[in-house]
Amino acid sequence: MNLSSTPVTRRALFASALTAATAAVTLVGCSDTEGAGTAAGSASASRRTLTVGMELAYPPFETKDDAGNPTGVSVSFMQDFADAYGYELKVENMGFDGLIPSLQTRKADCVMSSITITPEREEQVDFTDPYAVAQLAILANASSGIESADDLNQPGKTVAVKTGSTGDVYATKNLAQAEILRLADESACVTEVSQGRADGFLYDQLTIYRNQKANPDTTVAVFIPFQDPEYWGIAVQQGDDELREELNAFIAESRQNGEFDKLTETYLAEEKAAFDELGFRWFFDFDEQDAATGDSAAADAGEAANSEGKDA
Amino acid sequence: MRNPFVAGRDGRATPAQALASYALVCAAVIGFFWLSLAMAGIALNLDFVAQFRTRIADGLLLTLEISVASLVLSCVIGLPVAVGQGSRILPVRYLCDLYVKLIRGTPLLAQIYLFFYIVGTAWGVENRFAAGVIILSVFSGAYIAEIVRGSLSSLDSGQLEAARAVGFTRAQTLRYVVVPQLVSRTLPALTGQFASIVKDSSLLSVIAVIELTQTMQEISASTFNLFGTYLVLAALYLVLTLPIMFVSRWFERRGSYAH
Repeated sequence: MNLSSTPVTRRALFASALTAATAAVTLVGCSDTEGAGTAAGSASASRRTLTVGMELAYPPFETKDDAGNPTGVSVSFMQDFADAYGYELKVENMGFDGLIPSLQTRKADCVMSSITITPEREEQVDFTDPYAVAQLAILANASSGIESADDLNQPGKTVAVKTGSTGDVYATKNLAQAEILRLADESACVTEVSQGRADGFLYDQLTIYRNQKANPDTTVAVFIPFQDPEYWGIAVQQGDDELREELNAFIAESRQNGEFDKLTETYLAEEKAAFDELGFRWFFDFDEQDAATGDSAAADAGEAANSEGKDA
Repeated sequence: MRNPFVAGRDGRATPAQALASYALVCAAVIGFFWLSLAMAGIALNLDFVAQFRTRIADGLLLTLEISVASLVLSCVIGLPVAVGQGSRILPVRYLCDLYVKLIRGTPLLAQIYLFFYIVGTAWGVENRFAAGVIILSVFSGAYIAEIVRGSLSSLDSGQLEAARAVGFTRAQTLRYVVVPQLVSRTLPALTGQFASIVKDSSLLSVIAVIELTQTMQEISASTFNLFGTYLVLAALYLVLTLPIMFVSRWFERRGSYAH
């Protein structure tokens, strides 16, 4: 009989429930797992806890291993950052909706969850320099005849998007003719398309690529770029310049010392090969020009969305 | 003068007492919430209500429409099932029994996904409103069947014998003995079930039925105002459910006088 584990689990659950209730934040999963970091290269004497908010539902960037522990590109990246700068890493799993509010209520120190830098989000939180670049793509139903984003912008067409994602923002602004289905769950979007209830699903190239492979008979992927690239950043609390500068320095280092190549090798080897074959730009491929213009390009695109989105 | 916060010996409160105590309790609850907001350092911003008032009103209306349609349809399902559970035809009895157990034993969320994407797709239920009403009715029908079955089994068999003894026909027994008691015992719980339907309809947001919850989630996603939207969301559901609960209580009081 295992007497010891039950009360602990109960207490942990209760604590999670309390946290959720107080913050009024929707917690999707309640597994808070401490990173198993060692004090390699710890700069400061006292180790501070670094709480990172992630939605662990976006493999292979933010996900869970078979035992339920956080894993993925972002988890490894933050673990390496924590080791280098003397933090104790703590990953908090929460719904995408709750990520930015978790910074505003100081439940998290930063959020690394494949978040695109947009001006609307920049009004709520501060972002680091971009660490990755992504492009939207379309997962279309095989018999829908969709070959471009314009094909979707027709009366009678239905577009599935994940609520609040950049695909949602793009569709709201640019696909006004179509009916937009906003769903909470990525796999529901894919199901809508593969069953033919929706004609297309807008999401990043990698997710579209993986889901097309999973549904080869019912879906086709449209990879023709129809918007400016999206830049992903790590979000910190407004005014937390100290952490932001540390993260910026680590992102710059990682680009030089092969950290991103290592992460690609570990988590994304197969996808990298496929992207190379298709001639797509890789997530972590930045040239000097991007680093300089990335912010303003994202800002321009987003500002247009902002000004036109208001009357929608 | 009586202590304004203590009920009389008969357990009753005067209207003035009730009003004073209710105001006190409401003030305490709201005060606790405000204090929590202040301690958490959250500034509430409700500007979005004016900006999105059309969408919010549409969402509220759709929630109401879905709930009313589901209440009607779930009664149509629930009443025969309640009777069927006592049927002497065994397959009918066990079918009704299995239905109630399956529905009451599984989460509504799973039922929504499974019905919409498997049953709905197979049988061509394309309309999301219709699918939502069907799912919610099938779900709620099982609970209504249990409510009605409970009332039926609580009727004393002595009454039926008495009805036969005074020469009532079967129809007369039903009309003058069974139905009046059934109604007075079922109505309060049935009204309460309606309040549950209103709340449960919020889960239909996962299949993009643009009812109140889905509307507020969409607004939250574009304004990042999680607390404001969910606070207004909760308030709007209360606007729907509080009157229903009030009516339920009224039925309960009225029914208890009948005996």
